[in-house]
Amino acid sequence: MLKIQSISKHFGGVKALNELDLEVEEGEIYGVIGPNGSGKSTLVNVICGIFLPTEGDVIFEGQILSENPTHQRLKKGIARTFQNIRLFPNLTVWQNLWVARNSVEDIKTESSFYRWFGKSSIVKKEIEKMLEFSNLGNRADELASSLAFGEQRRLELARALATKPRLLLLDEPAAGMNKDEIRDLDGRIRSMQLQGITIILIEHVMELVMGVTDRIAVLNFGSKIAEGNPQEIQNNDAVQEAYLGYSEDD
Amino acid sequence: MFTEFLQNCIDGLMIGSGYSLLALGFTMVFGVMKRINLSYGPSIMLGAYFGTWLYLNLEQNAWLVLLGTIFGTVVVGIYVERLCFRAIKSDSTIASMVSSFVIWMQLEEIAMHLLPERTYPFPAFFAAKTIEFGPFYVRSEHLTMFILMLIIVLILHFFLYQTRQGLAIRALSDNPMASLYIGINRSKTLFLSFFLVSLLGGIAGFFILSTDSQITPFFGLWATFKGLIAMMLGGMGSLPGAIIGGLLLGIVEANVFWYGDPILRDISAYLLLFVMLVLRPGGIFGQSIVLRQRLAQERV
Ligand SMILES: Nc1ncnc2c1ncn2[C@@H]1O[C@H](COP(=O)(O)OP(=O)(O)O)[C@@H](O)[C@H]1O
Ligand SMILES: [Mg+2]
Repeated sequence: MLKIQSISKHFGGVKALNELDLEVEEGEIYGVIGPNGSGKSTLVNVICGIFLPTEGDVIFEGQILSENPTHQRLKKGIARTFQNIRLFPNLTVWQNLWVARNSVEDIKTESSFYRWFGKSSIVKKEIEKMLEFSNLGNRADELASSLAFGEQRRLELARALATKPRLLLLDEPAAGMNKDEIRDLDGRIRSMQLQGITIILIEHVMELVMGVTDRIAVLNFGSKIAEGNPQEIQNNDAVQEAYLGYSEDD
Repeated sequence: MFTEFLQNCIDGLMIGSGYSLLALGFTMVFGVMKRINLSYGPSIMLGAYFGTWLYLNLEQNAWLVLLGTIFGTVVVGIYVERLCFRAIKSDSTIASMVSSFVIWMQLEEIAMHLLPERTYPFPAFFAAKTIEFGPFYVRSEHLTMFILMLIIVLILHFFLYQTRQGLAIRALSDNPMASLYIGINRSKTLFLSFFLVSLLGGIAGFFILSTDSQITPFFGLWATFKGLIAMMLGGMGSLPGAIIGGLLLGIVEANVFWYGDPILRDISAYLLLFVMLVLRPGGIFGQSIVLRQRLAQERV
């Protein structure tokens, strides 16, 4: 579904990604782990089109994406969440979801009058489903900035879902979460997979990554040093080395 | 004595509604792009010159002038957007401000060539009348402008809060980075905002000039000053701030004009702004903007 073909991304002298190759199959949950600064967020930004790669191609469903700006990639079905939450703080929860849903919708099944004002029953029902999924039903009319941290994370995930993605990139979605919230997130990720969404999960929290992913790639200094199922990764020597002294403090 | 003061406040509200309309344009551009469009006043001036050119050369019809002014302002607004805002990278705030200043000069040149004498008549929809309310009175064209301002604010509010295009504009203003990732087309949305702002400016320009019944090349400078001051009083980027800032400016000016000296009127505007910036740097409604900017500066 997604193919990363010898991608390099340099920032001045820093090689954030270095001839990286990845291939993600349709329907799987693909984990990406690696120490801080190993290029994980850069990979997400390259896939979304915020950074153009210095070299190499991003191929999504057989199409090379090099020239497509972010909003076009989204229409093709690539959505993401952020390592640092980025909501629309002065919009309500409902509006955060509505604006996301609107910007991908191209199908003119309803009269444009209703589409303009977002009052159609289909839209309402979809957004209500998102609210239910993210357990925010009772906060729909509150400003996003007034939500608690965990709720904001859930809203960000729901907002990405509202764009109806087929590939969803999650950049450290469990950062700052407690054990219960992580278990909650685990369930949400599995349920998104069941809805047919392919997921790339970037995460430090090992219990989440090892539990939920089908395959994992390990990055170090912008290159892939290992790839395999969670079992194989846990027993891999190169990985142990890259993570030495790392897993303790994270 | 008190009646006099109230009368001044009424006059101030009426004149201030014109300032509010101008400030709305500045504040919307600032809200969406975090930039100041110095050439906004001059673009309205050039649009109005086009309107009055039609008046002189085609037909003496106020509707024609209104449409001509709006059309002219929108065309110039799009020109400014292409040259000062789209062509310049999104992180070069200073460059686009400087270039909007350069375009200001250019627009004044064009206006001078279009109509080389300095002062031209500007029509209104109906002859000026004075309407009495008990001890108070208002000029009919002032009242028209005030009511129009209220209607425009209602429509604008509805558009920004209840329609999908309006919501996209607010999302882009709220968090530009996140808006990219939910599929908002940045350049399309910016274009739409500029179009709206120019439309607003054309309407505002027509009604302000109608109350003066004449247009001079100084109108561009005047409109930029009044609009900017009103916006900063109310809070940069805030819609209610633009309205309140404009009305406040009008009221203060009218009272200074009455009790003090006509010359003091313009100085009072700067003084008021100075006091406001010292006491409340963000303006009346602007404190949250400071917070919002901090939020927007977080790393990816
Ligand atoms: N916008 C940028 N400009 C310059 N250097 C960057 C930028 N983004 C990331 N980097 C650098 O690229 C490297 C990889 O960063 P990043 O992708 O954020 O790592 P990770 O997400 O794995 O912690 C780091 O050395 C970082 O400093
Ligand atoms: Mg990162």
